[in-house]
Amino acid sequence: MAAKRKKSRGENLVLRYLILCGWALFCVVPVLWFLSIGLRPRTEIITPTPIYFPTFSLDAWHMIWEDWPMGKYLRNSVAAIFGSVIIDLILAIPAAYSLSRFQYRGREDIGFYILSTRMMAPAIVAVPIFFLFRNLGLLDTIWALMLIYAAINLSFVTWIIRSYMLDIPKELEDAAKTDGAGELRILWEIIIPAILPGIITASVIAMIFAINEFLFTLLIASTPNAYTMSVALANFTGGSDGIIYNAIALVAFLAFLPVFVVVVAIQKHLSRGLTMGAVKG
Amino acid sequence: MSNSPLSGAGMAQAVPARPAPRSFKRRSKRLKAALPYLLVAPAVIYLLMITLYPGVYAIIQSFHEVKFGPWKPVGFANYQKLFGDYQFWGALWNTLVMGSIALVLQCVIALALAFHAYRDPWVKGWRIIFLVPMLFMPSAVAFIFKLVFLDGRIFSDILIRIGLIDANLAIQSSTWMSRALLILADVWQWTPFLFIIFVAALQGQDEEVEEAARLDGASWPAIFFNISLPMMKPVIAVALILRAIDITTMFTNVFIVTKGGPAFGTETISYFIYRTGFKFFNFGYASAASVIMLILTIVIAQMVVKRAFVSARS
Repeated sequence: MAAKRKKSRGENLVLRYLILCGWALFCVVPVLWFLSIGLRPRTEIITPTPIYFPTFSLDAWHMIWEDWPMGKYLRNSVAAIFGSVIIDLILAIPAAYSLSRFQYRGREDIGFYILSTRMMAPAIVAVPIFFLFRNLGLLDTIWALMLIYAAINLSFVTWIIRSYMLDIPKELEDAAKTDGAGELRILWEIIIPAILPGIITASVIAMIFAINEFLFTLLIASTPNAYTMSVALANFTGGSDGIIYNAIALVAFLAFLPVFVVVVAIQKHLSRGLTMGAVKG
Repeated sequence: MSNSPLSGAGMAQAVPARPAPRSFKRRSKRLKAALPYLLVAPAVIYLLMITLYPGVYAIIQSFHEVKFGPWKPVGFANYQKLFGDYQFWGALWNTLVMGSIALVLQCVIALALAFHAYRDPWVKGWRIIFLVPMLFMPSAVAFIFKLVFLDGRIFSDILIRIGLIDANLAIQSSTWMSRALLILADVWQWTPFLFIIFVAALQGQDEEVEEAARLDGASWPAIFFNISLPMMKPVIAVALILRAIDITTMFTNVFIVTKGGPAFGTETISYFIYRTGFKFFNFGYASAASVIMLILTIVIAQMVVKRAFVSARS
C-alpha cells in the first residue's frame, strides 16, 4: 500500500519534506534545549547571553534526590494515578457495558450526561471541591488526588470502553446466552477479554491526564506532603535564587520517558482513545 | 435496619447465573429490568458528586459573602459586582481571543501536517516525533517557554544574532507579545493532539474513492479539499470541540509563565476564578463567576457537543 502511494505523481515531495521536517525540528529542538538545561550547572542557565555549549554537570540530578524528597513526589504521583485508574475502571466498565449492550429508557441521556462532565472547567468546580475535601478532612492527602483524578477521567474512560464494546458482534453474546450464562458472567468472561486493548488505551490516556493535572493538585496539595511531580515542578524555586531550571528539566524528562514508552506501545489505538471513540483509527 | 442478608442487592447481583427457584422468578425478572440501571448507577452517582454537588454549592455560595468568618447572605450583590467588573470581562475576552487564535492555528497546522504525512512511507515515525511535545507535563512545557522566551532570553538572543532586532524583546511588558507566547506554547504542545486524530481519519477513509479520483486525473490537493475534507468534517468537529474545552480552561501556562500580566492582559477565566478565590479569599465572588461559567458550559454542551458526537458516530 505504501509503495502504491509513493508512486503518486505530480506531488511536490520537496515541499512535503520541508513542512514535515520543519515541524519536527520545531517539536524537538526546544526539548533538546531543555535537556541540555538539565545537564548543566545552575550558573550557566540564566546568563547575560545564553550559553549554547555548556559544561556537562549532574548537579541537578543530585539536587532532586538529595535536596528534595523527589522519591516521595514520585511515589505520590504513582499512587494517586494508579489508584484513580483503578477507581475509573471499576466504575466505567459496568457503566460502559450498560450503555452499549442494553436498550432502556434514558440511556442516551445518561450517556451524554457522563460525556458532558468532561466539559466542566476545573476552575468552575475548584472552589466547592476545595471546601468538600476540607470538610472531609482530605486536603493535602493523596486520597483526595486519587478521587479527583478518577472523577476527571471517568467520562473519557467510560466512553472509550463503550466504543470498544459496541464493536463486539452480538452473536458472541447470544451464543453465551443460549448456554445459560448470566449478564455479568458474559461481561466478565467474554466482553472484558475481547476489549482488553480498549481498556488499556483508556487507562493510558487516563494516566496521561492524571499526570498532567495541575489546578486541583495545586489547590488540594498545599504542602509537599501530597505534591505530585506536576505541582512539585512549579515549586522548584530556591527563594531568592529564583527558579531552579535544571532540576525542573530533569524531573520533566523523568516523567516524560515512561509516558513516551507507553504511548508508543499503544500508538495504534491513540486516535480512537483521544476522541473518546468517535474516530476509529 | 436488620434486614435479612438475602435482601441486599449485592447478593442478588452476585448469583444471577445460577438457576433460581420458582419463587424467585418474578424478582429476578424485575432485577433484570433494573440491571442496566444498576450497572451505570455507580458511575453516575460518582459524577453527580463532583458536578451536581459543587454546582449547587457554588450557586448557594454565590449569594453570600464568604471570606474567613461565617457566610453572610448578600443577595445578588456578587453578580452585580461581577457584571460591572472589567477584570471579569477582560478575562472572558482574553480566554476567547487567545483560545480562538490558538485553536485556528492548531487546526490549520495539524491539517497541513496530516495531509502531507498520511501518504508518507514514514508516517509512523512522523507520528512519534510530533507526539513528543504533547507528552510533557503542561507545567514542564510552561517552564520551557518561560526559559526560552523570558528568563533565558534565548529567543531574543537568536534574533539579535540574525540581526532582526537590536536589543532584548520586552515580552513581559507587552500584552500582545505575552498573549502570543501563551498561544505559541499551546500550539506547540497540542497541535499533535489534532494531528494524530486527523491522520487516523485520513488513513481510515475509503481508498477506492481516492483511487477513482486519481484515475480521473484529480490532483492530491483537489482530492483533499473535495473528498477527504468533507468526509472528515464530523471528526474535525469532535476533535476541535475537545480541544476547545481544554483551551478555554487554560490555567497552567498562565500560572507559570505570565501570572495573568501585564495588567491582566493574559488573565484567563480560570485564572480569574483562582485569583479571586484562592489569593484574595473572596470565595462568594469566585463562586458567582463559576456559576456564570457553568451556565455557559451547559448551554454550549447542549447546543454543540451533543450534535457533534452523534454525527461523528453515524
